[in-house]
Amino acid sequence: VFPGVRQAQWLTKTKLVEGLPPAVQGIMDNAALGLQELEERAKHVVAHARLWDTTEVAPRRERYCPMLFENLIHICRLMSGKYPSLSKRMLARNCRIAATWERESILLQVRGLSGILMNSMTPIPPVASKEEILATKEHVLETFYPIAPTIDLQEVNVYKELNDTGQCFRDGYPYSHPHTLFFLESANVRTDRFRPEQLRAKMLMFAFGNALAKARVLHGNDPKVLEEPVVVQSIGTDGQLFQFMVFQLNTTDLVSNDGIKNLVWIDSDQNLYERAQCVPEVKKRVVTKPAGISGFQPDTFKKFLALYLHGTV
Amino acid sequence: MAALGPRRLLPPGRRWFSQTVPGAPSPPASPLYPPVVASITAKSKAAKSRRLQRFNQRVHAAATVEEKLRLYGKLQRPKYMVYPQTFALNADRWYRSFTKTVLVPGMPPRAGATKPPVAAAGATPETGRAPEPGAEAPRDAEVPGAAKTPEPAAGATPYVDIGELRSLACDALLQESFYQNKKRPFLYRDQDHTPGPFLTQLVSTLAASLSCRNPLLAVSSLDLNPEVNYYWHHGKEVVVHGHRKGRVDPVRFQIDDNPHLQIRVPKQLPEVVPLESDLGDVPVIDHKPSKLPLFKKQYENKVFIGSKVADPCCYGHTQFHLLPDRLKRERFIRERLEDQIEVVYRSNGIASLFAWTAAQAMYQGFWSEADVTRPFVSQAVVTDGKYFAFFCYQLNTLALTEETIKNSPRKNICWGTDSKPLYDVVEDGNVKGFNDEVLLQLVRFLLNRPKEL
Repeated sequence: VFPGVRQAQWLTKTKLVEGLPPAVQGIMDNAALGLQELEERAKHVVAHARLWDTTEVAPRRERYCPMLFENLIHICRLMSGKYPSLSKRMLARNCRIAATWERESILLQVRGLSGILMNSMTPIPPVASKEEILATKEHVLETFYPIAPTIDLQEVNVYKELNDTGQCFRDGYPYSHPHTLFFLESANVRTDRFRPEQLRAKMLMFAFGNALAKARVLHGNDPKVLEEPVVVQSIGTDGQLFQFMVFQLNTTDLVSNDGIKNLVWIDSDQNLYERAQCVPEVKKRVVTKPAGISGFQPDTFKKFLALYLHGTV
Repeated sequence: MAALGPRRLLPPGRRWFSQTVPGAPSPPASPLYPPVVASITAKSKAAKSRRLQRFNQRVHAAATVEEKLRLYGKLQRPKYMVYPQTFALNADRWYRSFTKTVLVPGMPPRAGATKPPVAAAGATPETGRAPEPGAEAPRDAEVPGAAKTPEPAAGATPYVDIGELRSLACDALLQESFYQNKKRPFLYRDQDHTPGPFLTQLVSTLAASLSCRNPLLAVSSLDLNPEVNYYWHHGKEVVVHGHRKGRVDPVRFQIDDNPHLQIRVPKQLPEVVPLESDLGDVPVIDHKPSKLPLFKKQYENKVFIGSKVADPCCYGHTQFHLLPDRLKRERFIRERLEDQIEVVYRSNGIASLFAWTAAQAMYQGFWSEADVTRPFVSQAVVTDGKYFAFFCYQLNTLALTEETIKNSPRKNICWGTDSKPLYDVVEDGNVKGFNDEVLLQLVRFLLNRPKEL
């Protein structure tokens, strides 16, 4: 009906900030990372995923989307030669997340397979300063009167309020802090994939769910303003378009509409490359589009890497 | 006339009828008739060999490698499908005879410089390595699963920190088997539930942490679930039935393999032994391949290393194979075929590595008529989640067809170990009986690189 992120913002009591937070920008601008040769490797890796990976002429999205993600993560992981603390990360696939909370007397719940989760041993330090957090008090959440904010949500009778990422991992798991969630829209048929706006809303809901579960584990179940905010990042892609998100949970007091709000920074619709041509397109015996990857944007890869390195650099 | 060499019998300008001027510097007359060769289309052995020669020339003259591969596998005929992971008895002997491979037990001796000295005391000292001085606590039999602090080693930079790697391996194992809540495994899909993800995690984290010591890993390409195919001819047979009955045909084989994980690199691994070495004998089996049992099918002849020819990472480094449920140890023990357990690992190693190295050689333009000028080396680890077997393969020859095998004395060589367990059991968040040997061998495999790097 209307953009999903606005609805998700209301449901999670969040204020939206466009662009990525300055901490992440700082990592991107840090020249010591040697991003030039990484660009070459990133181009090769995109070409591998999109062009070279299969014995058929062109790989399908179900194959190239996860392959591109694995290749990008492989390049990022190889940076742990330079930053040894990067090896304190672990990828977990197919983890199920469950979190419940109340918003103005409506009980909401997030459940489901939340894609691929990367955990780390150390939490991400808070991205927003104290002043910014206090400034969210004045921010008024957008309401959608007369449309109820729970429109398009499935109403279910919940008998057990499940509440932990401990649901996904047992106690004593050393990599206990959720770091980044990855969502791969890899369905072949376009109608089975989420549109960018819906994907961003899904990313926000799951990041919120993970952060809330972690906060409840760390600080108990009572709703209150958090002293140390919990930061969870999220990256969604369909193989070409990337959505980046950093979510900071400032408060678990979600019943009322005022007070401190949570913060989310979203950088949306970043293209990694313009077009990947497997066979050159020839019109009237003239090659109009040569084979290969064209329009590679190194900035998108830099953002991916910066979000990966965030918290250890 | 007396043969007195060229002599001027007549003054120049005068011709005498029936005598040609001997040794005159006139240009040699071009042959008046075309050379007499066998026909192309006749149904005769000479015509068959002439057709073969024309085909070979066409492939030699192909401009690009893709064109060469296309011509090489153009003709489709029924061929034997060779499965690297097979339950057939004594399959490794058969596979060695198909691929002209010599099996050498144990790992190849490497120069002392390429082996990483290890920081933990108690690791087996190899020749040429002094044990590392330093106060290390002796390794315990029980290793706690939570993050173990890496053992401090004096001057640790050139040395491999085995404690750190052990903790990484244990963390990966515990996450997959203990900490993550998963649903029950699907029927007969136990391998996808725990050992598969464990292997992926283990290799990716180990490769990432070893990339500072091995610059080749830093430019490597990691493939998950790639496809490796190779098609070749070996030996000859008579066609049994059909409209081509009675004709003599080469025996065709195709390997279609799906390793669990593979690492491809842009530079080739160094050779282990020189190209012409002879380290043993190739078994000769007098039966038809269908007795193994092997079955014939006709489909596309594919040659593929995991990505297309245009990829710069065109050489192989290491493959990781996961044995499926139907080949697990308990089944063999139940059927009282304990000696076939090792055969499974060996046949997987030999067939997969032969296919991979041969496809790499074809990507460089070599084929059975144009034999390799340098050996192609790759490594593989075959595992069922707990037991690991290591293989190293050196491809010395691609000439396996009936005509070319007579002229080439070279043999391919495969070094392989028996399967050893990495750990004993996982209980309550602890890994019991962790075997550092296996981890060390894995680390050695990953650190293998050309001498220049």
